[in-house]
Parts: sequence; C-alpha cells; structure tokens
Amino acid sequence: MNDGVQLAREASSRDPAVGLRAVRALRELAERLEALQVGNARDQGWSWQEIAVCLGVSRQAVHKKHGSGRRILGKER
Amino acid sequence: MFERFTDEARTTVRLAQEEARRLRHPYIGTEHLLIAMAVVGHGPAAEALREHDVTADDLRRRVIATVGPPEDALDPDALATLGIDLEIVRQVTEASFGPGALDSRSQKAAKSGHIPFAKRSKKVLELSLRESLRLGHKDIGTGHMLLGLLREGEGLAAQILVARGVNLTDLRDDVTRRIAPEAA
Repeated sequence: MNDGVQLAREASSRDPAVGLRAVRALRELAERLEALQVGNARDQGWSWQEIAVCLGVSRQAVHKKHGSGRRILGKER
Repeated sequence: MFERFTDEARTTVRLAQEEARRLRHPYIGTEHLLIAMAVVGHGPAAEALREHDVTADDLRRRVIATVGPPEDALDPDALATLGIDLEIVRQVTEASFGPGALDSRSQKAAKSGHIPFAKRSKKVLELSLRESLRLGHKDIGTGHMLLGLLREGEGLAAQILVARGVNLTDLRDDVTRRIAPEAA
C-alpha cells in the first residue's frame, strides 16, 4: 500500500492538520465500534453496569450515550 | 433498459449504487460507475483500468477530494497515517456483525432508499448500448459501459481519469481491443 506509506510519512511531518485529522478519524471509528459493541452486548443481555465496567466509564455515562437513542430507534425489538 | 446487460454489467450497476450509498451521495454519478468497474475486478473494463493503474481505492480518494467527504464519514486516509487500514477493520467487523456493521446511524437509515442515476450516468448507459450496437455485439458488457463513459467524456469519472494522468484515447483503444479485436 504505497499511498499508506506516503501518508505515514506525511504524518511524521508534524503538520497539525494531518495529525488532528487523524485523531478525529480515530475518534469517529472508535464511536462506531463502541455503538456496535454496546448494541451487541445489550442484545446478549448484558446490563448497563457490566458494559460500563468493560468500557471503564460510569453506568450513567454509557446509558445516557447509548440507551435513549437505541430506544428511539426501536432497538428493543 | 438492462435486458441486454451481461451479468457482469448488471453487477457493476448494482455496485455503483453501493458506492454512491457508501459515500452517501444522493445520486449515482459517472464516478460511481467507474469505481464499480474497478471493483468488479474482472472483465474488459476492470482489466483495462488495471492496465492503466487505476484502482478503486485511488478513485474513491479522488472522488472524495473533489466532492468532499460526507459529514460524519470514516476517513480512511487519516486512519492510514496511524497505520490503521480501514478496509481491514471493516472486513473483520462485517465478518462478525454482518454487512454495514460499521455504518453510522444515518447511513443505516439511508440503506433502504433508492438512489437515482444522475443525468450523465443515464447518458453513459445509453451510450454503452450504442457502443455495443456500433461494434455489432448482442450484449452490453462492462467494456461497452467504459466506452460509453469515455464517449460521454465530461462527467466526474472522465475528469478524474484525466487528473490521474490516464490517456483517454489509449484507454478507449485498450478496451476496444479487449472486446472487439477486429475493430481496434
């Protein structure tokens, strides 16, 4: 993957625009993975408390972030 | 309209729709058709594109660079600077959770909607029929589609190929040689 190598080189140029964009991309990816994994855990009957412990956050935080939105989407099918 | 299309050509049209959906564009443009031709991987169009070093990834990058990324899109280039290959992440998550597992909520909502062809794409499809007739062929394959796209010549796909340094005349000759050696 030549483009990847070239991009990696660009990343080491200490250009903030490149570095910050990478952080943003990583955050978006992490958000998607979190939503996916939390949804899966809920589908498998995990409690919010159990999920929160694994994510290293409070039960309230994980419930607030993933709880309501999923109910709005009618996820509890 | 698609009765005379080969299976490969139909697959290409379907993949073009998927590309548009993936990039969250509200239409199927010539650029999505071109990416789909490269994605299909076999057949005259894909082979000719490969011969000219045109890859689907490169095309996607150029499309995004031209029309801009969708609002909350995953950013494969930025992830690559961290050594993360988004395609691999996508593959492993989809292997566990099914197609579209990494999509955002808005993308999932858009999943079901029908995406219309842009004007130029319709033109490309019409021209692919004409290219097939011109060559005295019965079916419309990916080669005819690429010829149609090149003949239309003004869509984003053609612009990207030119920006990529592809000589459109060479590419046209190359495809023609593959589908109608006697006409080249």
